[in-house]
Amino acid sequence: MRLIRELERLQAERGYLDEASLGELSSRLGVPLYRLEGLVSFYPHFKTEPAPPVTISVCRDMSCHLAGAEHVADALRKELAGTEDLAVEEASCLGCCELAPAARVNGHPCQLQDAAELASSMPEGDPVPDGEKPPWRSDPYAEDERYGVLRAALESPSPTDEAERIVEALQESGLRGMGGAGFPTGLKWKLVRSEEARPKYVVCNADESEPGTFKDRVIMEELPHLVVEGIALGAFVVGAEKGIIYLRHEYGRAKAALEAELDRARASGLLGSGVLGSDFSLEIEIFVSPGGYILGEETALLEALEDRRGEPRNKPPFPGQVGLDGLPTLMNNVETLALVPGILRRGVPWWESAGRDGHAGLKFISVSGHVERPGVYEIPTGTTVAELIELAGGVSDDRALKAFAPGGASSNFLPADHADVPIDFATIEERGSMMGSGALVVVGEGTPLLPLAANVVRFFRNESCGKCVPCRLGTQKATEMLEATLESGVPLDWSVIRKLDLLLRETSICGLGYVALNPLTSVAEHWPEEVPGCSAEAPGSGIVAPHGQR
Amino acid sequence: MIDLTIDGRAVQVPPGATIWEAARLLGIDLPVLCHDPRLEPVGVCRLCLVEVGEPKLTAACVRGAEDGMEVRTSSERLEVCRRGLVELLLSDYPIDASGRPKTGSDALLALASELGADWPDRRSRSGETGEAPRSRTEPAGGIPAGQGRPLDGTSKVIFVDHQACILCDRCIRGCDDLQVNEVMGRTGKGYQTRIAFDLDAPMGESTCVSCGECEKVCPTGALSLRVWEEPPKDAAGSGNTGWEVL
Repeated sequence: MRLIRELERLQAERGYLDEASLGELSSRLGVPLYRLEGLVSFYPHFKTEPAPPVTISVCRDMSCHLAGAEHVADALRKELAGTEDLAVEEASCLGCCELAPAARVNGHPCQLQDAAELASSMPEGDPVPDGEKPPWRSDPYAEDERYGVLRAALESPSPTDEAERIVEALQESGLRGMGGAGFPTGLKWKLVRSEEARPKYVVCNADESEPGTFKDRVIMEELPHLVVEGIALGAFVVGAEKGIIYLRHEYGRAKAALEAELDRARASGLLGSGVLGSDFSLEIEIFVSPGGYILGEETALLEALEDRRGEPRNKPPFPGQVGLDGLPTLMNNVETLALVPGILRRGVPWWESAGRDGHAGLKFISVSGHVERPGVYEIPTGTTVAELIELAGGVSDDRALKAFAPGGASSNFLPADHADVPIDFATIEERGSMMGSGALVVVGEGTPLLPLAANVVRFFRNESCGKCVPCRLGTQKATEMLEATLESGVPLDWSVIRKLDLLLRETSICGLGYVALNPLTSVAEHWPEEVPGCSAEAPGSGIVAPHGQR
Repeated sequence: MIDLTIDGRAVQVPPGATIWEAARLLGIDLPVLCHDPRLEPVGVCRLCLVEVGEPKLTAACVRGAEDGMEVRTSSERLEVCRRGLVELLLSDYPIDASGRPKTGSDALLALASELGADWPDRRSRSGETGEAPRSRTEPAGGIPAGQGRPLDGTSKVIFVDHQACILCDRCIRGCDDLQVNEVMGRTGKGYQTRIAFDLDAPMGESTCVSCGECEKVCPTGALSLRVWEEPPKDAAGSGNTGWEVL
């Protein structure tokens, strides 16, 4: 963390990282130049040239593509052409898809249409909007009751029994990881608890970056006490004394909310040495990611925390055994951690009854794309996609539903007749897609799907770390083929697409590669008429995916 | 000791040994481009993938051998993957890159021929003339060819052809870990990644000491030797220090 923080400090001081400063840093810390080059050129947050006073970052990804970002951005570029001291840059999904088409002006999120006006006022900070916040059902507390589960655990005469009770309750609840992989939370806590090496760490993965996904941002902004208590409970159970929140750098408001919450917790004796007079000690710090979707992959995240390029590790071993600095590390997503206090406070029967029609629990879903009221919705698990779209005001502009991606950019598109699917891990998998990062992206009738699929494949190409052969080359080749087809109408050589899909799925090191062509193969499966070269006789990739991968 | 079977044959290895090492004990040479027994494995070329009864294939060079593990090193699934990976690499590989002087042989082309990869063999094209062949790439297995990566001829000892580089990381580990010269790394991300010297300086202007380790471990024509001749006598005093032979 030290080296990346030094680079950030240096950049904050000078505005960019010039060769002389990097040379000086290399001598001062005894770090070879090649390592600095590796970091500075890998992470998008680092700049090697001076930035103008105003930078407009324009999102080009899934939800913004559906909102016509390309056209709006072209108009903006024309309008601002020749404006001095201003740069317009393309950025990957900014995590504010409810604003689509979204942009950031000097870090201030806005609608792309408002970017020019905002740029002329050169905003500095990122004010938190005032106003009443709606109550979230996942929050079991009145304000003066917060951290009740942690307090009770620490007052327990036997911390060992208490920790085991917590693991049992989580296992019984069936809570699964909400970051995308869906690993059973109770089992993960149990495994890390059983590791003997010390110290251990708890990492909250707050690097949400999947196009269409912004639920964790809202949870951190509005329920930071649940995130902090979730981390503390994880640390209590596995025996860690240090927690790290790995936060994407675009989430300024979430950072402010978390910092304020950590201050409050410290002031109340809930963090620090001997929490509330017990033997349990805990420090939590925030680490701001220097950027990139791949950092949400748990081992890439660890590489970044260890001051290396964020390239996923070969697994096994998993972070629970060999994590940060080679030590056992409990890593959970923001939403997963935030749900833990509610489940433990109100009990498993409550959690089971919070869902619908036999599905347990509550789920935060980011809804974006062609809906009237995009935003984060907290729904009973088992709510159908059609009902959630209605809750979000229906498909925008009175269109019919054409398609939807239930779990963000990497989940397979499903056609409208699957909108009756209850939202839960197993039910969505049965329809051939996945819960993924809990991001419903809605596509209205009349939207051509091949450009959308190409947009998502391009995102994965842009965000591939470049470490392994299949992903570095496969995502590029597929993007080139799709661009050629979109430009000239030349049919795709489907045998080559199938080959690339096979190589990505079977031989990539991490999940980015496995899923990179999902948007294309699922469009080909359900809408073969929109994919030139993909014959109706051979829809989709034709490749049987390994169990659990799609 | 750890007991496992590879292709049905029993083998015993000490704890910490990888599947690749265990296979070697049985005389099974798994295909590799990124691995070298002298280097810490990185598992990036994916050619040594094997089946271990898990849903995912696993890279033998990095995966530790486990008690009771049943490893398969060949199957149709593995063959298709290995051939495809080589074709993917060849689609970006300049046709004549292997013609350059090297300490070792071109391991990528040797593997291509061993695995039967679909690629226009450079030898069948040696008669062709008319355009500069050195930047030419050809589709392999129908995969679009890539091109446009730079050359670096600034070092008097090593010639760098980034287009022929497969980012196996062997030169980097050779430079930083074996020789501890700590000059080489990677710059950029994704498809734009390249090997780099210091802060991405041209090789001849970097802190490279010309030890030659990077060229020696390079499995392709990306890093090759420059061969120089003594200047003819009548050129003495002209400031000419020699001619490159190739």
